[in-house]
Amino acid sequence: MKSYLIMRLLRSFISLTLVMSIVFSLIYTAIPKDRVFYTDTNIEKLQKRPDDLTNYKHLQWARLGFTEYKTLAEFCRESGALDLSACNDSGSDDARLFFEKYLSLGFTVEAFPQSGTLFAYREIPNYRRILNFWGNLFQVENVFAKGSGLHFGRDFNGNLALIGRGTRHKYLIYANGAFPFIHQNLVRISLGQSYPTYRGQDVVQVISGRQGRKVVQQARLGNGEVVETALDLHSCRYNENPSLQLLGMFPDGFSDCSPMRRGPSMLAISFILGFGSLVLSYGIGLPLGVLMASHQGKWIDRLGQAYIIVMMSVPSLAYVVLIRYLGGRYGGLPTMFALYGSQDIRSFMLPTLSLAIGSVAGRMMWMRRYMVDQSSQDYVRFARATGLGEGRIFSRHIFRNAIGPIAHGLPAAVIFTLSGALITESVYGIPGMGKLLPDSIAVYNNTMVIGITFFFTVLSILSTLLGDMLLAILDPRIALYDKHKAGKRRKKP
Amino acid sequence: MRDPRFEFAPKDGRATETIAAPTYSYWRTVAEQFFNKKGMPALIAVVASVALAAFLQPLMSGYDPRVVPHINDPSMRFLGISRQFPFGTDDVGNSVWDVVWAGTRTSLVIGFLVTGINSLLGILVGAFWGFSKKMDAVMLEVYNVVNSVPDILLITVLMYLLGAGFWQLVFAMCVTGWMSGAYFIRTQVMMIRDREYNLVSRTLGTPLYKMVTRNVLPYLVSVITTIIAGQIPAAISMEVMLSFLGIGLSVETASLGRMISKYSSYFSGYPHLFWAPVSMLAIVTVSLYLMGQAIADASDPKKHR
Repeated sequence: MKSYLIMRLLRSFISLTLVMSIVFSLIYTAIPKDRVFYTDTNIEKLQKRPDDLTNYKHLQWARLGFTEYKTLAEFCRESGALDLSACNDSGSDDARLFFEKYLSLGFTVEAFPQSGTLFAYREIPNYRRILNFWGNLFQVENVFAKGSGLHFGRDFNGNLALIGRGTRHKYLIYANGAFPFIHQNLVRISLGQSYPTYRGQDVVQVISGRQGRKVVQQARLGNGEVVETALDLHSCRYNENPSLQLLGMFPDGFSDCSPMRRGPSMLAISFILGFGSLVLSYGIGLPLGVLMASHQGKWIDRLGQAYIIVMMSVPSLAYVVLIRYLGGRYGGLPTMFALYGSQDIRSFMLPTLSLAIGSVAGRMMWMRRYMVDQSSQDYVRFARATGLGEGRIFSRHIFRNAIGPIAHGLPAAVIFTLSGALITESVYGIPGMGKLLPDSIAVYNNTMVIGITFFFTVLSILSTLLGDMLLAILDPRIALYDKHKAGKRRKKP
Repeated sequence: MRDPRFEFAPKDGRATETIAAPTYSYWRTVAEQFFNKKGMPALIAVVASVALAAFLQPLMSGYDPRVVPHINDPSMRFLGISRQFPFGTDDVGNSVWDVVWAGTRTSLVIGFLVTGINSLLGILVGAFWGFSKKMDAVMLEVYNVVNSVPDILLITVLMYLLGAGFWQLVFAMCVTGWMSGAYFIRTQVMMIRDREYNLVSRTLGTPLYKMVTRNVLPYLVSVITTIIAGQIPAAISMEVMLSFLGIGLSVETASLGRMISKYSSYFSGYPHLFWAPVSMLAIVTVSLYLMGQAIADASDPKKHR
């Protein structure tokens, strides 16, 4: 079992790398890199200052992993030139040095349009981009480095916490009232910085961070002052160039804090929605499928089949809009998510129903199919011949065998609720996962697209694995690996 | 022994030469079963008239999404159902009747074209994929990888590279669309490739392409028609979703998807605007689906008596 799992994980890792390579080459080579500024308002503002515009663009490209970028000014500062303005001049010796050095490194050296001072840039090859992605995936706090200043202390609420000093985060392990009560900042997954939407935020933060209205709470700041703040002080990171005001509030330098919000994250919203509709669709669809199979050819079966055909062939957009209208008109339920927000259960009712009404058809169809297939098997005829009652054959023999394939799809169904529902989320204006990918593609938010694809791929690999394992547990006849062979191999030295 | 109730029949020399059992032709039986199915003539009439109207009506109305003659005439907007405008008019004064038929034509063409290409590729590749173990090892990984790239991402990037348009959309929907069909066929082929009759055929030295085309594919006709029947509505729905997201067809092609997404915002005020394309779509997809299922049923030789 162990070696099978390891092999399987290894193969998953290879496919994951391949998927990421395809996505990286699609995004970074197929789309011109100027496109990332499509919705950036700063470009408009900088139109009248061509030097700053050029610098801004190249800085962003470097930050997004398109290029490596170096200006003559930086070069001068690093080489310790005494007269910066003389060094900056494109005719200086330093400029010639800069030109020759970077040209030999394969950079393209150009001059800023107005000042004429030099800069150099170089495309990062795709394989390096992928390596960088993997390299940055896990951000581990370096607690063993000198001066990490690891100690247990009290946080701003007086709770016990593991606090670092030379680390990126201040609170490495801390407790608060939110599930699962004890949290850590030691190892964080990073998928890169989002740009141009959700600017400056981590992709992981966008997906899994809370959204909505800010929460104000009392906290004791570093300077001893007790204030009302909307910042989540547990999230504070070390700020490399803080303003004076921030330094006054946070004398220890950990002043890069994200705000505390009340609403559930995109992942959580999609999960609530998806899980609700999943429970509905399994709860209604499976019994209906069984009912159809046991009344094969009767009116109830025909009615169910008609429902399935209509639901399978009409685009979901149509019935989602219809349910929204009916629910708003006759049920008095909110037709837009933002009306009552994520705190009100009514906001989830119509979207959940809209999602369930389509997927019920699928559950009915497959449940009926499997039951009908099983009922013509020989063992059923045998059971009938031995004089077993129809009810018992149906519930004990047919149902038990038909539920196997349904169970196989269950982990995938649960896990894929996290990927959200595109149409439903768009129609009701729900801030969930489903809309994030097309929205990010539309504004050329490359990091986000790559991050989400990575996330979805991991989800799909995980769900197939869990499904196979569940199937093997439920049905002892199915073995994922050859037990006999594995035993033999172990015996051999 | 003589009985007045019986008499001798003349001997018919030709009748003794024919076989008493009725001759069996596969495709004729398929056609018979298909056309004799209950409600089938009505369904065929619906599909035929919709298809005919969808190809003729736009020629007569001359509807072009880029030409909006009544855009500056507020009295033409949101007119109700009348004789001149059977489905009323929309927010820019176009006759919804014309728009719906033009959109239906696009949907039908996309549905059949995409399904045709995907099925053809899928069947051909899938059949050989199922036979060759070497190909299976490679293609299985390719399939897993391609399946993990979100469709929307791939189509969006392709549409961006190629530019929005009808043929570009067809291409983008086909690039990876054939893979799931091929995978399905591959599994089916693997189930029957080692049956005795194929074993015999192989020992007799039948070449691979003949095994595929003569032994295996005819066996799979009913399975193949079942998937094709489901794929046409799926392709039409896909176009609707892409147009809803704004990454599908360019503005110069009428599209039911774009109509539905545009008119859904007028749902509470002018519901007929929304219902016109939706019901047309429902009629097209449901009847095509039913027809496909009927063909699939009829092509199953186990049901031929």
